[in-house]
Amino acid sequence: VTTIQRERLTAATRHLQAESLEGLIAASNGLNSFLDSNAVFVLSGVRPIGESAVVLDRQGRSVLIVTPEWDEERASLISATDETVGTSDLPRTIVEVAARLGIGHARTISVGVSLLGQSTVNRIVHGLGGAPVAADELIRDLAKVRATSELAAAKRATWIAERGYERLLEYAKPGMREFDLAAELYCYMKQLGAEDNFLLMSASQHNQAVRAAGERILDVGDIILSEITPCYQGQFVQICRTTVVGEPRPIVREKFALLQDAMQAGLAAGRAGVSVAHVTNAINGVFQKAGYGDYCRPPYMRVRGHGLGITSDRPGDIVDRNERVLESGMVFVMHPNQYIPESGYLMCGETVVVAEDGAKSLSECNAQLDVIAV
Amino acid sequence: MQTMHPSIMLGSYIWLQDRLPIDEFRLRLDDIFQEMDKHGWKGLLVYGDAREHAALAYVSNFIPRMRWGMALINRDGNHRLLCSMSTRDLPAMRTMTWIGDVHSGWEWEKTFDPWLQQFKSNAEVELGTVGLDLMAPVLRTSLDRSIGDRFRLSRADEALTLPLPRKRPREISMIRASCRVVETAAQAFIKGWRASGAPETGALQGERAARAMAAQDVRTLVSLNSGRTLVPFQGQYDKVPGPLLGYIAVKQAGYWADMLVTAADAATDAARRSNAILDQMIAAARPGTRMSQLHSIATKGLQPLALHPMLGGSVGRGIGLSLHEGPAFRDNENTALAHGGVYALQVGVADPRAGCALKSAIVHIREGEPEILTRSPAGSPDDD
Repeated sequence: VTTIQRERLTAATRHLQAESLEGLIAASNGLNSFLDSNAVFVLSGVRPIGESAVVLDRQGRSVLIVTPEWDEERASLISATDETVGTSDLPRTIVEVAARLGIGHARTISVGVSLLGQSTVNRIVHGLGGAPVAADELIRDLAKVRATSELAAAKRATWIAERGYERLLEYAKPGMREFDLAAELYCYMKQLGAEDNFLLMSASQHNQAVRAAGERILDVGDIILSEITPCYQGQFVQICRTTVVGEPRPIVREKFALLQDAMQAGLAAGRAGVSVAHVTNAINGVFQKAGYGDYCRPPYMRVRGHGLGITSDRPGDIVDRNERVLESGMVFVMHPNQYIPESGYLMCGETVVVAEDGAKSLSECNAQLDVIAV
Repeated sequence: MQTMHPSIMLGSYIWLQDRLPIDEFRLRLDDIFQEMDKHGWKGLLVYGDAREHAALAYVSNFIPRMRWGMALINRDGNHRLLCSMSTRDLPAMRTMTWIGDVHSGWEWEKTFDPWLQQFKSNAEVELGTVGLDLMAPVLRTSLDRSIGDRFRLSRADEALTLPLPRKRPREISMIRASCRVVETAAQAFIKGWRASGAPETGALQGERAARAMAAQDVRTLVSLNSGRTLVPFQGQYDKVPGPLLGYIAVKQAGYWADMLVTAADAATDAARRSNAILDQMIAAARPGTRMSQLHSIATKGLQPLALHPMLGGSVGRGIGLSLHEGPAFRDNENTALAHGGVYALQVGVADPRAGCALKSAIVHIREGEPEILTRSPAGSPDDD
């Protein structure tokens, strides 16, 4: 893992030199959001427990600072940085390390510092004698295309997600509570190596949206929605699935086919060189043609997909106002999830990698309407 | 103990109206209103995020699964809750709070500014704030822009100390329930380890047991080096020689309970001494006992050995809606234990000769001996 992080440290150093900058302070709030880049992970390979930072100077000297202090040993074994420091006081240690590397605030840039709490930021700024210029896009851009090792980890994560979904099909039955099903899926995927999982899973006879599992008891006729999002070696992936307990009504099959058509339209449109807006419009076009154009907005859906943390969240949300151009090797989830009045909210989505001739699903088997026999 | 934060909290977070009915929150607000009146605060902003939300949960029962939430409390009613979620997700968010007026914080000007407008006054209006230290600067900028010249924000964290150190009766009841879950989980942790010899297999079985009991959140740490350090999930399900040292924390209906876990074929000197010192700490935990006194009992009792480095120099802390309520019990912390407070006490050793052990208990402070809400299980046949 550290090879790619070293390459990114080198690329960041070159950026500092090219822009005549003294240093970079890249911070993480420790939340490891599946939607966001984690600058500390991108540069060090360490998934931090608490608030943390990488400090880099224009000579390429790099220091990882982690909290809690006791996590230093784990972090130092993984980190691509020259040095790892554990601390119970992140602001103080950032200021000390910056001083040691000869970095002041005037010609220093920051990434992710704006995600830290206000009081922490105030102490860093006070200690440095001023605020570094925010350059929050830098790390996203450095890591916007997955490296070979990262793509391999994403494929493994997708394999775990698909096994998790197979487990849902085996395990779910009427009379079971949602939280029990979610617990089984979560632990099953953790057993397979998933270090984290943004798992939403809920059921209703007529869903308005997907949500986290609750106390509801599964019943015949329920439509189970699952957004299965395991993380493996820092690579989140996501698959979205719709499962019916008992034989689905014909209208549900008909409307789910609409989502599958939208997915195919998105895959075909998602080639390198086109904008995200183009892909979004291709997906929305299927719903508009079917008479559901008014529902192509919240609260009837959220987005048509999104980038995936914790490496780089490029290309961002798959929405019609995003003009970012897709590049080969970008990875994101494409999900034409949609509320339709006749069926309720339905889900269909895969993690895809952008190629010259379209977006390619990482799944062995793309979403279909599955049935739990009763 | 700090652990890896999950990307989302999985378990069932609905407002349990039978266990925490609306009158519970009215009682909590009555106390808060008294303090607001004393300071002249017409409203109160209570902020929390996915990591730390004890004050927000105390006031609203709302727990941000991801990102942030903020309760806007009006002294005269018309409370509002903002959450950093899409409008698509609002119906689910509304099931988590007694506050009926829930909006997406992504539409800040449409949701925060109109709430402010209800305060009609020619003079400057003062609002108390809780938790703004946690707020990211970008949101703080939006807040300051909305506040403008007509309002003034006053820090209320110290005056209100939310959640209160003294737990309310229903809170004690909730914490007791969480303690039952963590006990079951810790037993499964040890059983899984004994069956496999793999610490992470044990931790996963502990987590599974807790989640099957509707735990909302489960955090674990294990040692892969015979107890010298603990690490978050590594995905290493191999056998590891040496004793089991681990940590498990569970959240049930908003309230945490945690436990340090040590198990071996036979009790080590470290385990025996840790147990004995924990007994002394429990016996000394009375209303008014200073946190530094408990630290002194632990460190003097262990001499010449030192506290396990995983404890970070602390032998306890408050626990409830947060895993870390109030100050850590360090050598210089002279805060006194509160009557009615709930605290996690912890002690342990990592020594090449004495061995490694970590032990903990959760106690409810009352007159006389504290109520022991839970305690680390015996980790070996001769470990009592």
